[in-house]
Amino acid sequence: MVLILDITTTIAMLFIVTAGLMMIFGIMKIVNFVHGALLTTGGYAAFVVTQLGWSPWLAWPLALATGMIVGAIIEYLIVRPLYKRPLDAILATWGLGIVIGQLIILAFGRDVKFADVPLTGTWSLGGTDYSAYRLLLIPLALGLCALLAALLNGTRFGVKTRAVIMNEELASGLGIHAGRIRFITFSLGAGLGTLAGALISPLSSIDPGMGITWLVSAFMLVMVSGHSMPSLIVTCAVFGACQVVVSTYASPVLGGLTIAVLAALTLRIRPKGFAHD
Amino acid sequence: MKSTYPLIRIAVLAASALVAAQGHAAEPIKVGVAVGLSGANSVVAPAVVQSSELAVEQINAAGGILGRPVQLEIVDDASGAIGAQKAFDTLVLEKKVNAIIAMESSAARNAALPVISRGRVPYIYTSFYEGRSCNKWMYVNGWVPEQQVAPVVDYFSQKLGAKNYFLVGSDYAFGRGMLKFTKAYIEQHGGKVVGEEYLPMDGSDWTAVISKIRSTQPDALISATAGGAPNVSLAKQLKAAALTLPYGNLAIDEGTAKTMGDVATGMYMSASYLTSIDTPENKKFLSDLSQKFAGNLSTPNELSEPQYEAFFLYKAAVEKANSIESAAVVEALKDVSIVGPRGVVQMNASRHTPLSMRLGQIQSDGSIRILETQEGVSPGIQCPNLK
Amino acid sequence: MTNTTLQAAPRSTGSSRQGAWGRSGVLALIAIALLVAGPWIFDSYILNLLIKAFLFAIVVITVDVLWGYTGYLTFGQSAFFGIGAYAAGLVFTHFGLSPGSIAIAIGLAIVVPMVVAGLVGWLSFYRGASPFFATVISLVLPIVMTQLLLSGGEWTGSSSGLTGYETFDLSLNAWYWIAGSGVALIGLFAWLFVRSDAGRVLASIRDNESRCAYLGINVPTIKILLLITTAAITGIAGFGYGAFSGVVAPELSGFALGTELIIWVALGGRGTLWGPMAGAILINVATAYLGSRMPFLWQLILGLSFVLVIVLLPQGIVPALLKPLGFGGRSRRVPVLVERAGVVVPESDGVPALLMENVTKSYGSLKVLQGINLKAEPGDLVGLIGPNGAGKTTLMRCMSDGADRTSGTVHLCGNDIRRLPAEACVRFGLGRKFQNANIFESLTVAECLRMAGTLHERPLFFTRADTLALPSYALDVLRVTGLDSMLDVVARDLSHGEQQALELTMVLALEPRIVLLDEPTAGLTKTERTQIGVVLSMLASRYKLCCLLVEHDLDFVEQIATRIVVLHQGTMVMQGTFEEVVNSDLVKTIYAGSALAPQEVV
Repeated sequence: MVLILDITTTIAMLFIVTAGLMMIFGIMKIVNFVHGALLTTGGYAAFVVTQLGWSPWLAWPLALATGMIVGAIIEYLIVRPLYKRPLDAILATWGLGIVIGQLIILAFGRDVKFADVPLTGTWSLGGTDYSAYRLLLIPLALGLCALLAALLNGTRFGVKTRAVIMNEELASGLGIHAGRIRFITFSLGAGLGTLAGALISPLSSIDPGMGITWLVSAFMLVMVSGHSMPSLIVTCAVFGACQVVVSTYASPVLGGLTIAVLAALTLRIRPKGFAHD
Repeated sequence: MKSTYPLIRIAVLAASALVAAQGHAAEPIKVGVAVGLSGANSVVAPAVVQSSELAVEQINAAGGILGRPVQLEIVDDASGAIGAQKAFDTLVLEKKVNAIIAMESSAARNAALPVISRGRVPYIYTSFYEGRSCNKWMYVNGWVPEQQVAPVVDYFSQKLGAKNYFLVGSDYAFGRGMLKFTKAYIEQHGGKVVGEEYLPMDGSDWTAVISKIRSTQPDALISATAGGAPNVSLAKQLKAAALTLPYGNLAIDEGTAKTMGDVATGMYMSASYLTSIDTPENKKFLSDLSQKFAGNLSTPNELSEPQYEAFFLYKAAVEKANSIESAAVVEALKDVSIVGPRGVVQMNASRHTPLSMRLGQIQSDGSIRILETQEGVSPGIQCPNLK
Repeated sequence: MTNTTLQAAPRSTGSSRQGAWGRSGVLALIAIALLVAGPWIFDSYILNLLIKAFLFAIVVITVDVLWGYTGYLTFGQSAFFGIGAYAAGLVFTHFGLSPGSIAIAIGLAIVVPMVVAGLVGWLSFYRGASPFFATVISLVLPIVMTQLLLSGGEWTGSSSGLTGYETFDLSLNAWYWIAGSGVALIGLFAWLFVRSDAGRVLASIRDNESRCAYLGINVPTIKILLLITTAAITGIAGFGYGAFSGVVAPELSGFALGTELIIWVALGGRGTLWGPMAGAILINVATAYLGSRMPFLWQLILGLSFVLVIVLLPQGIVPALLKPLGFGGRSRRVPVLVERAGVVVPESDGVPALLMENVTKSYGSLKVLQGINLKAEPGDLVGLIGPNGAGKTTLMRCMSDGADRTSGTVHLCGNDIRRLPAEACVRFGLGRKFQNANIFESLTVAECLRMAGTLHERPLFFTRADTLALPSYALDVLRVTGLDSMLDVVARDLSHGEQQALELTMVLALEPRIVLLDEPTAGLTKTERTQIGVVLSMLASRYKLCCLLVEHDLDFVEQIATRIVVLHQGTMVMQGTFEEVVNSDLVKTIYAGSALAPQEVV
């Protein structure tokens, strides 16, 4: 039972962390190596809330807002000039991640910090007591998936976004403002990244480099999963389960590697990954 | 005769003025402090820095060492091997310090030793650690497992009746060394180790470890993680998983315990220094600290208080040798002793020092209730090959 | 138009070229002098720093060759560095220091990175791999390496690493000279290589991988070999670091170091070799001094500079500073054109140049080509016409790349292409000229042509050949179009028509038996069009080349084609002579929608 809960909560964590990246890279095909720094920023947003003594639930809207603002600035200054140079976009966004990390150090110091958990205590499931906050992540992840899928498939904004991806010139010719769509999508994706950071940091700790360890796993998951939110959940499920099994039965260190290695092999054998088309 | 008396007086005055001038223009003695301002140790680093600064201020106010003021050089060793190498290169080669007094992780210490040997600099290591680290130029005033583990295991097995133990550690010299000693001690005294798990020093996700603890159902848990962040993340996750077995933390310090709030309640720890020690030296130490760092005080703890003492040990050694020359100081360090907040400290037991060890339990307000005290616990023979 | 373009092309005159040599030579001499005299100029702290900086500079050179010259952005060279360092640490810790253990350690430091590089290369550089995927794999590699080291328990020291092991008892000065000569040697080696003809292959891969494939260059193999070689060099540098510093820890193989390498190359000037070397050494020294005084600010400055350089100044800071002083100009030694010996007109042995049987191509349920049966003999000049969307370019692709078609067989000069990649088809005698001038933008005309000749003449590894041998018909094209006097012009600076002619010559340099041309007259002037027509006719009639062209210009097709094939909605609807086809009702219906002749000929 504990193993099942470990697996499902890990899958939920993975999905929450990668959702923002999926919006930006999976859908918009914009390389965004700032994602790690955004996660870190979200973690520090949670820390700030703890420092100020506010209710830890407030970390969520604070992180979301911070992320969207930061994302908007990044899109305008850095990403826009580099649409045509994807490898350079990797580098510039990576460098930006470093800059953000240094700014965080200047503001908060280099040491490790901790944020309060919004939901303390345990819930009893199937005879075992399990961390309540961890369990909360499961409905959160599912809700996020449903929300984003609805946004992309059910709203006009979603339709416009998909139009811009498929054929930008045609979309522009039909009056869709491609630049604005990209701007909004990027900001939203960035906000999701920051929110994810705030969501996961109460479980462990916060330090200036926390986002980087998630970055590579997140990219691998997005590359394997293809374009849609449901396929991302499937990818997170498969790889997340493997990671937990390896961590539990082999060693936690090797478990950390599982996602990256499995994803690399999957893409090598089947470059489309888990996508359906 | 009357005419020469004023002359002699003038000469004496001039001579003493010269001597006084020498004192003011004296070159400072540089003491290097390498500490983990970033990385795993960063949680305890501020307290270490404060201890160092207080010690230097007090020494300089009393006239310095051999009439020369002490100058602090603080560098970050990133709590790890590569960072320590860079830090020690800077201290020994660039700043050319006369001595190094450092509280560091074992990874950092091991990487620093070659630089110390090449640079021939006296090095007082002020952290507790896994023991058996020996170098011609190093002295240690923190505890070793021989002093620290026994109180905890004895209490668990005798007073709490524990037979099966689960061990958790950070995967590096300290974690492995401590748990190796602990496992041997447990098995020597009739207990059994049902699980032993490690995470890298920077690891913060203990989920798999916690699942294993659940499945093996031990009577007690003992951990030896890197000081600072890993303690906090492990404790938080244990509490979140509602695991309430007796938990002895071999690497927790009071400062970290205070920041953890009620997450640490009930944890057992064994330490040579606790703020609740009731001696005049400790009371003075605490009041001096809170006066100097009013409003910004980091709780002094097992990792920061020995740092404070070490400066006075160094001062005593230099004064005994009457020189700052490295070999002389190293020779003198074993003969000097001070009475500090912890009691008597003299590093004459194979480069290490006998200590009074207190077994405590963390209360819900973060204070430590002392359960037992043992005076003068011997560190054993840590460095049989060094004289 | 041609003339103005000619004048606009920058030419390095003899004197300024010599000037550039002179200035570079002076700089090199200063560097060598510092290297030799170091121990007397610098104190032990700086010597210590420089030794490590030199070892990092060796790795930086490999990163520049991989990224700046070949276009492979890699964060993973640090993994090989770490392997080399741990080879030293592990062997010396567990087996002590002896001639045997030293040999084993050095051997491991070279062989293990090479094996890992081979694996990574296989993973990253397969046909159709995206450069982004290769970069992400290169990011995964150091993470995997670090985690493997962390999971090694007491054997690798895990988070503590290994320290205090016995190592070479050399003085600081000796280490300085060893590290210094190491970086000087590797730098020289790399410099000779990238300047050589073989080195230009790297630039051509960076510029245009598909063109390389269609010149018969096996790009994946070259990249893998390059990665393996650089891994070995990096492993040795790592071994040096482990042996010198006496401390190895997982950070040495981590991606933090890997990204620092990229930053040094970017700031130093990618694609210049000396820029990254200087950048790496300077930044390392500066970080040691400034890093302790103003740690946060310095890292922030580095990070900001990096971002600014990427966005605004991609060529890097060091070249930007030195270019006004006259550095960085390329000396363009122009080879002499000679006729390639041994070009023979093959006997007509009845084997068709092209045989396609029942070829189809579908994307899922969408059928783009169906039931293609096409045969072409040597000397045929086949015009492929049809409305847009008929599948002409798809047909070309199916002929030239074995992986492309869905079913059916294709034989080129009697060889079944099965599922072989483009470079194999080229070896069977295929040459393909693309619609847009598909050349190597940053290479000169002569260098482009040399790349085209690699099938027949292996490029030299550390020097540049004085002559450039081309088949006579290629030389004719050069003369007719005037390119033979523009051999040192960078391809990017040619006019559109000149670029088309260059690409055609490159294809001809392959000595192909069958040439596919996709709209060869698009964008050409009337004169240029006639020239191309004459050339193609000659190639078909005199040299028995089979030419297949996709064309919309029916006048052009009428002049030169021996046969016309009409393609419509994925099937071949008609084959015949020009008159037959043009006058058929079927073709009129296809093009105009009805059999009634329009008022004007379109």
